[in-house]
Amino acid sequence: MNIIRTLSGLAVRIPLLIWSFIVIFPLLWMFIGAFKTNAEIFASPWALPEKFNFQNFLTAWTDYNIGTAFVNSMFVTALGSLLCLVFSIPTAYALERMRFKGNEIILNTYLSSMMIPSVLGWIPLFFLLLKLNLLDNLWALSLIYAVSHIPFTIFILISFMGNVPKELEEAATIDGMGPYGILFKIVTPLVKSGIITATILNAISFWNEYFLALILLQQESKNTLGVAMDLLKTNAKYESAWGVLFAGLCIAVIPVIIFYSVFQRHIVKGMTEGAIK
Amino acid sequence: MVLSKKQKYVFLTFCLLPTFIVFCIFTVYPMIGGLYYSFFDWSGTSSVKEFIGLGNYQKLLSDSVIPKAIVNDYIFVFVKVFGIMILALFFAVALTQLRLKEAPFYRIVFFFPNIMSVVVIGILWQFIYDPNIGIVNGILRTMGLEEWTRPWLGDMTWALPSIAVPAIWAGIGLFMLLLMGGITDIPKNLYEAAEIDGASEWQQFWRITVPLIWPQIKTSIIYIVITSLNGSFVLVQVMTAGGPGIATEVLGSYLYQKAFEDFKFGYGAAIGVLILVASLLTVIVLQFLLKKEKVEY
Repeated sequence: MNIIRTLSGLAVRIPLLIWSFIVIFPLLWMFIGAFKTNAEIFASPWALPEKFNFQNFLTAWTDYNIGTAFVNSMFVTALGSLLCLVFSIPTAYALERMRFKGNEIILNTYLSSMMIPSVLGWIPLFFLLLKLNLLDNLWALSLIYAVSHIPFTIFILISFMGNVPKELEEAATIDGMGPYGILFKIVTPLVKSGIITATILNAISFWNEYFLALILLQQESKNTLGVAMDLLKTNAKYESAWGVLFAGLCIAVIPVIIFYSVFQRHIVKGMTEGAIK
Repeated sequence: MVLSKKQKYVFLTFCLLPTFIVFCIFTVYPMIGGLYYSFFDWSGTSSVKEFIGLGNYQKLLSDSVIPKAIVNDYIFVFVKVFGIMILALFFAVALTQLRLKEAPFYRIVFFFPNIMSVVVIGILWQFIYDPNIGIVNGILRTMGLEEWTRPWLGDMTWALPSIAVPAIWAGIGLFMLLLMGGITDIPKNLYEAAEIDGASEWQQFWRITVPLIWPQIKTSIIYIVITSLNGSFVLVQVMTAGGPGIATEVLGSYLYQKAFEDFKFGYGAAIGVLILVASLLTVIVLQFLLKKEKVEY
């Protein structure tokens, strides 16, 4: 019986280990490649670099604009996440706690918009920003990111607000607190973990976003990481600067890894709940 | 809350109106605009915007790239649904049923690609497939399978499956966790009773696990289908831009090329409407196909 158990354990572990290898190896290959010279990459894709030098990172950061793009991405990620909360918290509260005509309709409008492919709206969005003279503008891009995630954020916040006991609000009313005070001083602090969950997921999507940035940004100095990486890839192909490209990929991934290691629980919970919706 | 009617409506307006306005401008308007633009022949400069009714849609019907792109879109859907669901289900059962000590390690590792940027995934895998420095050809060479090496993404038949692999690679973790959530909720005594009745593990899997996590399976499939139809073009555009030829073209990448590279915005908008119709129809059909009585024991 024991032998069977060990054997079946082994039979299950082999596929698990193989898949772990398939996930980890490309990432490891990328990190190691970032420290190699081009000659080393071509000589053997497998070997470790002779010495770890950071030249590729410096080249990517300064000569290929990854530094600027990194700062731009930080900007749109932070501003986009913040704006999204500013728009979503009051609406989520009103939809969850207030009774009024049209409550259901508004909620369903937000939720059903999540089903519609965003591709459909790109062309009009491009011309809208062109007319408003907001193309190539990181503030506008942040606003668009924020708005694109309003329905998802409302959805997450509503589920957290449902757990806030109504008695707290009633007690605050008796103490003479107005609805604005209740919303910002009582309810908002109590749904902190919902706010964190939604914000982390929003921030990751904004950090990783590529296509809207590609369409709505034009100058190289305005590029966010996704677009800059794609450009770096094209240049690296002509110049065979593979090490630099790997370094650029690392720069884009490292913040996500840090985020993941700190907020793993929030991310997993938020994403699985978001999928169930 | 005791609020006068007026106070209540002021508060509601404060909460709802600003958000709804930006939502209408940047989400609702572009979507309706997408429908509207699809009736025009338009190269971007407003002077030559000509109403052509269903002209763009007639052109869709005679465009030979469209059927190819639709087929490719659905190939992605099928490959991703089957690839992800089979592997995710296997891993989920393995990690929940056999109390492995190192289970958290697998969970953390398998989930990580889910939060990586599609651009990074696309570029990384482009180099994994690179004919000269890539890992795939490297492994084949060390195994002595020199004749199997090929420029994967430049190969008419292999390019499409080669893009599907990273899509599965990046998708497994989330659905594995989703299914694991369902499996841990199944009462243990059901398995004990089945064991006593002499049911094999395989029977237990099909008779207990699958029916009881059917809601999670259904959700996962629908989620994969929607995200694939609405989003797999990002990976395509980054890795091959639809090439070689039109071998990997999907509707989304074709829309981007038509609108933002060839400046045929009206036609691009019509492709957008086609994507909308395809994904809504597919979801309706799926809801119907996956309808199954809820099982309770």
